[in-house]
Amino acid sequence: MDSRSIYPHIVRAGFAGAMLFAISMSFTDVFGTGSMGLRFFELVCTLNVLIITVSGISYFVTAVTEEKDAGTYALLRLAGMNSLSITLGKSTSRLVSSLMLLVIQLPFTFLSITLGGVLWNQIVAAYLALAAWMILVANLALFCSVRCATSGRAAGLAATTIGVFVFLPRISSAFHGAIPPGVLSTGTIAFLELIPAVCSKISVFDRLAEILGLTSGFTMLGIDFSTGLTTISTASIRGEVSIVAGQFWSSLLTAFVLFVISTVTLDFWSAPADTAGPSENKSVRRWAVGRCWNLSVAWKEFVFFTGGQTFAIAKFLAGGLVFAGFRMFQEMDGYSNGLALRGDYSWWAFLTFMMTLTAEVLLYSSGCLFYEVRQQTQSTLATVPISIVRVLVEKFAGCAIALIPAIVWIFITFVLSDGTIVRNCSATMVSSYLIMLGFASHLAALLSLYTRWAALPLTILLATPAFFCMAAPILGLTAVTSVFARSHNIEVTLLLSSIINVFWTWMFVLLPLQIWIRDRWIALSQQ
Amino acid sequence: MSTITRDTVPAISVTNLSHAFKGHQALSQVTFCVMPQTLHGFVGPNGAGKTTTLKAICTLLKPNWGEVQVFGQSVRNDSVAVRRRIGFMPDHFSMYRQMTVFEYLDFFAAAYGLPVRQRDTVIHDVLTLTDMEGRRDDLISGLSRGMQQRVSLARVLVHDPDLLLLDEPASGLDPRARIELTEILRELRRMGKTVFISSHILSELAELCDSVTIIDRGQIKFSGPMDILLESPDERPLYNLKLATISETAMQRIRELPGVETVSEPEFATGRDYNIQLTPATSANEFLRQLLTLDLSITSFSQQRRHLNQAFMDLTTRGVRT
Repeated sequence: MDSRSIYPHIVRAGFAGAMLFAISMSFTDVFGTGSMGLRFFELVCTLNVLIITVSGISYFVTAVTEEKDAGTYALLRLAGMNSLSITLGKSTSRLVSSLMLLVIQLPFTFLSITLGGVLWNQIVAAYLALAAWMILVANLALFCSVRCATSGRAAGLAATTIGVFVFLPRISSAFHGAIPPGVLSTGTIAFLELIPAVCSKISVFDRLAEILGLTSGFTMLGIDFSTGLTTISTASIRGEVSIVAGQFWSSLLTAFVLFVISTVTLDFWSAPADTAGPSENKSVRRWAVGRCWNLSVAWKEFVFFTGGQTFAIAKFLAGGLVFAGFRMFQEMDGYSNGLALRGDYSWWAFLTFMMTLTAEVLLYSSGCLFYEVRQQTQSTLATVPISIVRVLVEKFAGCAIALIPAIVWIFITFVLSDGTIVRNCSATMVSSYLIMLGFASHLAALLSLYTRWAALPLTILLATPAFFCMAAPILGLTAVTSVFARSHNIEVTLLLSSIINVFWTWMFVLLPLQIWIRDRWIALSQQ
Repeated sequence: MSTITRDTVPAISVTNLSHAFKGHQALSQVTFCVMPQTLHGFVGPNGAGKTTTLKAICTLLKPNWGEVQVFGQSVRNDSVAVRRRIGFMPDHFSMYRQMTVFEYLDFFAAAYGLPVRQRDTVIHDVLTLTDMEGRRDDLISGLSRGMQQRVSLARVLVHDPDLLLLDEPASGLDPRARIELTEILRELRRMGKTVFISSHILSELAELCDSVTIIDRGQIKFSGPMDILLESPDERPLYNLKLATISETAMQRIRELPGVETVSEPEFATGRDYNIQLTPATSANEFLRQLLTLDLSITSFSQQRRHLNQAFMDLTTRGVRT
C-alpha cells in the first residue's frame, strides 16, 4: 500500500535535494581548500543522523500503534498472525525502505572523493555506521510502539529514550566531575564511569567523529553530541579507518535484543488503544477540564491536545528543575551569584529552553490538524457556524497557550543572565530563528495534512535547506527597505526593522502556506 | 404542530443540482424538496450520490451547478446562517473519544455560541431525550456503538436545529437500539423538527417516513409522499383479506360473490389470508358489504401496498455504478 503512495517518492526527492544542498554548502564553505569533499560528506552525515533520529520518533514508532489506534490489531490476530509476523511485517518494510534511502545516496557521496578530503573506505564505513544507527533506532521505536497504547505516547517514549542516550554520558561525566572526591562510593563512581563507556560503544556520533577524523567531536547545530571518550588517532585523520567497528555490531545486537523483547511482549502490551486525555477521576477532571470557553476550539486544543493546565503546570515545574539543575552545577563550579546564571551556564540554560520551545512548536504544529483528521472529526467541525480561518486560528491559540511555560522560563533565564545571552544573540540570529520557527511550524502543519506520521522528519528535511533559500532574501529585503527608508529621511529603529522583517516573512513565506493549509483543510472536510 | 400550507417555505429545496469529481458525474440535475416538520427518507444504492447530496445540503460541499436552499436560505451564499439551522450527523463516528459525554456536548454547545447557563439546560434536555443522562460523565471511548450513536444525535440537537440531516443513523445498531432510535426520531417530528434521513434499511423507512426520495446513479428516480410510492402500480388494486379462523370453504364462497374476478392465496399461505382482485365495475365498499353477508370472522381487509423494497428495486438499476 505504501509503495503506491506518492509521498515516499517525495521523500526520496527530498534526500536528493539534500545532497544538492550539502554540495552547495560545502562549496561555499571551503571553496579553494583541499577538503571540500570532507566538508560535503560531513554535512551529508549530519543531515542523515538528524533525519534518522527524527524518523525514529515519528515514523518508526507507529509500526504497531497505528493498528492499535485504528482498532485493527485484534483483526490481525484473528487472521492468524502471530507476534513475530506482526513485528517483523510491520517494522521490516519501513526499515528496508528507509535503508534504501541511504543506499541511493551512495553514488552522490562518492563525489566527495573527487572533491577531496575523503577516501572510499571512510564513506562505506560511515554508511554502515548510519545503517546500524537506523536499525537501532527503528527497533527502539518498534519497542516503544509495542509498549505504548497510542502513537503519541510511543513517540514521547522514543524521544525521551533517544534524548537520554544522547545526553546521559555528558550529564553523567559532568556530575561525576562536579562531586568532590570521597563523597560518592566506589560502586557509584564505577557506575557513573560505565554509563559513558557503554553509550560510547554504540554511539553513532562517536563513530562518525572517528571515521571523519573530527578532533572537535561530531557537532550538529553547534552542539557536540559525542560522548567525549573517543580518541581521534592520526590514522583516523588520514582516513585510515576500519570499515566495520564495534559500534556496528553493538548496535545490531542491541537492535536484535529490542526486537526480541518487542516480539515476546507484544501480546502483553497490546491492550486496545484508549486516547490520552485528562484524568478519569471526576473531581480531578472537573478541575483540569472545567467548562468550555467561548473560544471553544482553543479550549479543546489546549485541554485535550496539549494536555491542559495540569500538563502546563508540570512543564513549568520541570522547567524550574532544569533551571535549578543549571544553578546547582554553577554552584558546584564555585560560582555563587544569587539566583542569576552566568557565562556558559546561562547560555546553555537558554539554549535548553529554546530547544524545548522549538520541539513543542513542531510537535504541536505537526499534530493539531493531524489528530482531527485521524479522528475523522473535521467534517463535524466544518458544520458548526465558525469559519475555517477562525477554527485554524483558535487551534493555533490553544497550542500557543501550552507554550507559555517554556516562554516564561526563556524570559526568566534571559532576565537572570549576566549578559552572556545578549552578547551571544545577534539581531540577525533572533530574526533567522523566528523566521525558521514560523516557516517550519507552517510546513509541519501542512505536511501533516498529507502524510500520516512523517510530517516532522519531512519538515526538518525541507526546512534545513529552505533556511538558506529564505533567510538571505528576507533579511536582504529588510536591508533594502532600510536603505530606502533612510534615503527618504526615515529613521529605521529596531522596532520598525522588526516589523518590516515580520511583514516580508508573512507576505512571501507564511501567507502562501496559510492559504495552502486552509484549502487542504477544506478539501479534507469535504471527503 | 403548525399547519403546513402550500405557501410554506420548504425545509430543503434542491434545484438542478449537479456535481462532478475528477470527471465522474456524481450528481446530475438533482431536483427535489422536503417540507418542514416531516420525516423524509433518502434512499439509493451505494455510489448513487446520497452522501454528496447530503454534503451539499449541510454546506460541506460547494456544488458545481444548481441551487440548494435550506428554509429559503442559500447554502452557497448564507452558509453560516444555514449551519445554525441544521444538525448534521455523518455516517462515521466523528467523535472526540478522549472527552466525556458532557464535555463533548459542552464543546459543541459553546461552538454554536450558547452561553454557559443555557448550555447546562440544553445538555440536560438532549441527554434526557436520548436517554443518556446517566452516562454524562462517562468517557466516549468507553461507550458502546449504540450509545455513541445516541451521543451523536444529542450533539446534533444541542443548538436546537430546525432540520436534522442524518446519514445512516441506524447502521451498526442492534435491533433494540434501532427501535429506540426510531422512537426518538418520531418524537423529534412531534417536536416540529424536519428530519432528512439517509438509510439503507428500507423497511424502517417505510414505517417511519412521510415522504421519500430515491436516487440512482446521480439522478432522482422518485420524490414525493411515501403513500404514493407504495401504491400498487396496477390500475386495479389488489386487496388483502385476513380471517380469524381457517375455513376450508371460505375461498370458494368469496369467489362466488358478485364482482370478484380472482381469489388466491399469498405465496406463504396460512389458510387465513387471501388476495382478491375485483372487476373494474366493483368498488371496495360494495364488495365489503357482500363479504359481511358470508358471516366470516374477518380480522382485516386492506388494499395491498407495494413494499418499499419492491419500489426501490423497480426504480433503481441493477449493478454497481462505474
